[in-house]
Amino acid sequence: MEMTEERPISRWALFWAKTKTFFSKPQNVILVVMGIVCTFTTFAPIIAILNDTVQVHAGTIDQYLSGKAEGFTLVNYKDLFTSRLAKTNLWIPLLNTVLVSVLSCVFAILYGGIFAFLVTRTNLKCKKYLSSIFIFPYIMPQWTLATVWSNLFDSVAVTGTKNGLLAGFFGITMPSWWCQGLFPSFIVLGLHYAPFAYILIGGIFRNMDANLEEAATILDTPKWKIMTHVTLPLVRPAILSTILLVFGSSMGSYPVPHFLRLTTLSTKYLEMNANYAGEASILAVIMMLLGVLIMYFNQRSLKSRKSYTTVTGKSGQTSVINLGKAGKYIIGIVFIILTFFTSIYPIISFAFETFLPNPGDYSFLRTWDFKDLTAKWWITSENVTENGMYGQKGMLFNSTIWKGFGGTMLVSVACALTAGTLGTLIGYAVSKNRRSRLAGYVNSVAFLPYLMPSIAVGIAYFVLFSNKYFNLYNTYFLIILVGTVKYIPFASRSSLNSMLQLSGEIEEAAVIQDIPWHKRMTKIIVPIQKSSIISGYLLPFMTCLRELSLFMLLCVQGFILSTTLDYFDEMGLYAFSSGINLILIVTILICNGLINKITGASLDKGIGG
Amino acid sequence: MKKFSILALTVLAALSFALVGCKKQAKSNTQKIIEEAQSMTLEELAKKAIEESKGKKFYGVGNSSRGKSALPLFIKYLQSFDSSYTLEFEWQQPKNNKIFDQLKADSLKDVGTFAMTLIQDGNQIETKMVQTGVLDTFIPKDWAEANKIDVKKYNGYLALQTLNKVFMYNCVDTTTVFNNCWDFVAEGKHGQFMGIDSEVVGKNFLYMLTAPKYAKNLKDAFDALPAASKTALQAEIDGLAQQAKDLGLDENGKYALAWIKRWVGSYTAVSDDGPICSNLVKSDSQGQFGLLVYSKLRSVEETATTSKNNVKIAAYQDGYQGMGGYGYCHYLFVTDNSPLPWTACAFIAYMTCTVDGFSAWGKDMGGYSSNPVVATGTETKYQHLTKEGDKGYDWWVNQGKLVLEDPAYCASVAFTVGAWIETLDKAA
Repeated sequence: MEMTEERPISRWALFWAKTKTFFSKPQNVILVVMGIVCTFTTFAPIIAILNDTVQVHAGTIDQYLSGKAEGFTLVNYKDLFTSRLAKTNLWIPLLNTVLVSVLSCVFAILYGGIFAFLVTRTNLKCKKYLSSIFIFPYIMPQWTLATVWSNLFDSVAVTGTKNGLLAGFFGITMPSWWCQGLFPSFIVLGLHYAPFAYILIGGIFRNMDANLEEAATILDTPKWKIMTHVTLPLVRPAILSTILLVFGSSMGSYPVPHFLRLTTLSTKYLEMNANYAGEASILAVIMMLLGVLIMYFNQRSLKSRKSYTTVTGKSGQTSVINLGKAGKYIIGIVFIILTFFTSIYPIISFAFETFLPNPGDYSFLRTWDFKDLTAKWWITSENVTENGMYGQKGMLFNSTIWKGFGGTMLVSVACALTAGTLGTLIGYAVSKNRRSRLAGYVNSVAFLPYLMPSIAVGIAYFVLFSNKYFNLYNTYFLIILVGTVKYIPFASRSSLNSMLQLSGEIEEAAVIQDIPWHKRMTKIIVPIQKSSIISGYLLPFMTCLRELSLFMLLCVQGFILSTTLDYFDEMGLYAFSSGINLILIVTILICNGLINKITGASLDKGIGG
Repeated sequence: MKKFSILALTVLAALSFALVGCKKQAKSNTQKIIEEAQSMTLEELAKKAIEESKGKKFYGVGNSSRGKSALPLFIKYLQSFDSSYTLEFEWQQPKNNKIFDQLKADSLKDVGTFAMTLIQDGNQIETKMVQTGVLDTFIPKDWAEANKIDVKKYNGYLALQTLNKVFMYNCVDTTTVFNNCWDFVAEGKHGQFMGIDSEVVGKNFLYMLTAPKYAKNLKDAFDALPAASKTALQAEIDGLAQQAKDLGLDENGKYALAWIKRWVGSYTAVSDDGPICSNLVKSDSQGQFGLLVYSKLRSVEETATTSKNNVKIAAYQDGYQGMGGYGYCHYLFVTDNSPLPWTACAFIAYMTCTVDGFSAWGKDMGGYSSNPVVATGTETKYQHLTKEGDKGYDWWVNQGKLVLEDPAYCASVAFTVGAWIETLDKAA
């Protein structure tokens, strides 16, 4: 009998065949490419800043203590953790950072959560108006509320600077703890991030299955018990998501604690950077470690609920709680007043500030004489100093402001396009390989930068790209790169959540028809999940428009609008900073409105659509 | 997966360390050009600059935004020799002390981006920029002649101007009087001042107070205090005698430490001199005072509640004792790897040796050209002394007892006196 000889398949051929099969799937190509890209963009800056902590910096404490002009030393760690300045330079800022982050979370969740409940589950009046106006503090640069706070509550007697409106006109002086430090910092940050809680928690309330609560009601369960045993557990994932997002963002906030005089790790970093450069880098590393810690908790929470999405399912039934005849109006009015102070008053105050003759000079409110108002901050077309313009042209003619505006638009559009596209692709690829380790890795590594404090990410990128080969400081490339890396999670999470809702059969049908991948994406996937995908573009765009902490160490003032705004604020030229705020707010509202009209997506409809 | 991650991280680590750990190579080309340029007139330098930079782009970086205003005037000046001369330019003004990081990073390249810099903070310049060879000093011939300096023997930097920050107080309440610099640190007093961590020249001012000359001034001012005020301070001053000794200060060092301790523990940090000025000129700021640049007063607009007349300069008042404020310089340097060294030298010479070149700063009071000829020309043209009541640089240095920044001294005490200052309690 003749035996047919089977030729063994070589290992190489097997490997090649497997590789070819693997890469024949577009989602695998995306995962590999994005895995490499995200690994570099996430870990290279971390390594660079770690390196900076052990380098000798000329003219700083490490050179003095180590006696070396260059090279490496561990003296920065020793000095930061054990010297007599450890309490001042490390422990107090660290404690303040944790406290302000935790309290901001609590405040944002309580304020945003209660508001979300009222809007989605009750018969509250003026819901539409309140829903739109509630997100204004998130649209505005975060420190604008801090300046409004100072303008309201500062007093010569307590803060030793100027009399704010309350002290100046009503003789009311608020105590020091109210005017500056931890309390106003967490209130301002909480107000800024409460829209997060509203969007995330509101998303669940809106889609929550009312049958559960109704069943409890039928069983004669008291209302408080329904709330604590049924409703709150259902919104737990959203609360967790809010904590993760708000904690990470508050921790890396520089401008709010800076304006309200709270020493945190981020403000300390800038204070120490001149003479304690290596130790300042350790502070940045600590901030990053806190980010990684949050990531760990995020991963644990992801494992427990399988998905980041806060929408737990859709119910045909929604129950509306009756607040009572008077209650629906009273609570509505309370929120109209609250949102007036957090959303409308700042805008009025900004507009008013641009017509004051001197920064913070409210003579008009005493005299009601229009001579005490001026349009010079808008219309001065010459570079003059005689009429109190501090060498600046009016805003309509100020090339610094309009160049900054152009830069901001460029950065925002570019970041939105790149972060939106890459994030969408990541979301798609991860959803297609949700059980693969590579997908899990890419998903995590792409999300990590979002949980790292903005200022720490900025510092790390500055260190990484300030060398012999790359000196990218003050280039749009660097800002767009950092913005993209930081905001990919907006799009990847939004995309992942929506892709997970999409049945695989839809694409499989197209695959059987031999329709190429790009056509499947553009003709099937994207149109179906249009709203969520647009959210993934919209959020990076909106956030980039008023981002400061992330970009402030990467470019000079005048390069983008937020650094220009910060510059004028620091200079005390509040007319300019207020005017820029108005420009930003109007731009965001126009963009949000346009996108809402064209696509139906909207910021207040939430992360993940 | 784990192995892949470890491999990826190892490669990244190596790459990142390589990227950030590169050493600077010494460059002498710029220094050679500077040596040659120092013997040339401004006109000769202008011709060299035209030859070198016609149609090119010039990058400058500085702490003052007005470099941007000076550059077009410089280009116009060069066009007076060659009407076809053009120069694109970009002037950057980094914040948060980033100028030093930026210059350091740029110095790592063979040919840098920045041609020159206008920079403040003598301490950091000395330790981070000059000792490390990042920046080179160029002394223009005309400037040296005007200051009667032998360039070969001169070891200092080239200052464009000296700026002064002076004690001012709100005088609406006429009973508020500050007769002595110790009054600014009296119990319960809180001056407004840019935080010493946000503007490091403020820290240099505190370092300078410990120098023998200024410590002696503080002692003299202390001696002139009324007996009751002296008694209130004496124990604290004596208590710092040992500390002064430990820090290597002279016998009057304890007065300096006491003043510094009280100032750091009492001042209200404000983000910039602009808001300090805006706060002080208001009629409801009775009793408030601050230490800020003189020139901020120029922009105040008179209204019902705001007026320049609500503020007095402490040192101008009869019988005032002690320092009236402090002075710091804007220095000019050529980067050691300057892409356009001749143009940088010409631009520096133009700013320091001509009234037009200095006009970007000279048109406003409070900044004094380091070139006496330019200073005189600027006063003739803008008349700050006559019209605006400024008493001028010489008055401030002599009668006003301005504390002047000395980069070498600041660098020598930055981590002795400086470390002690870090331990002090700051005002809430």
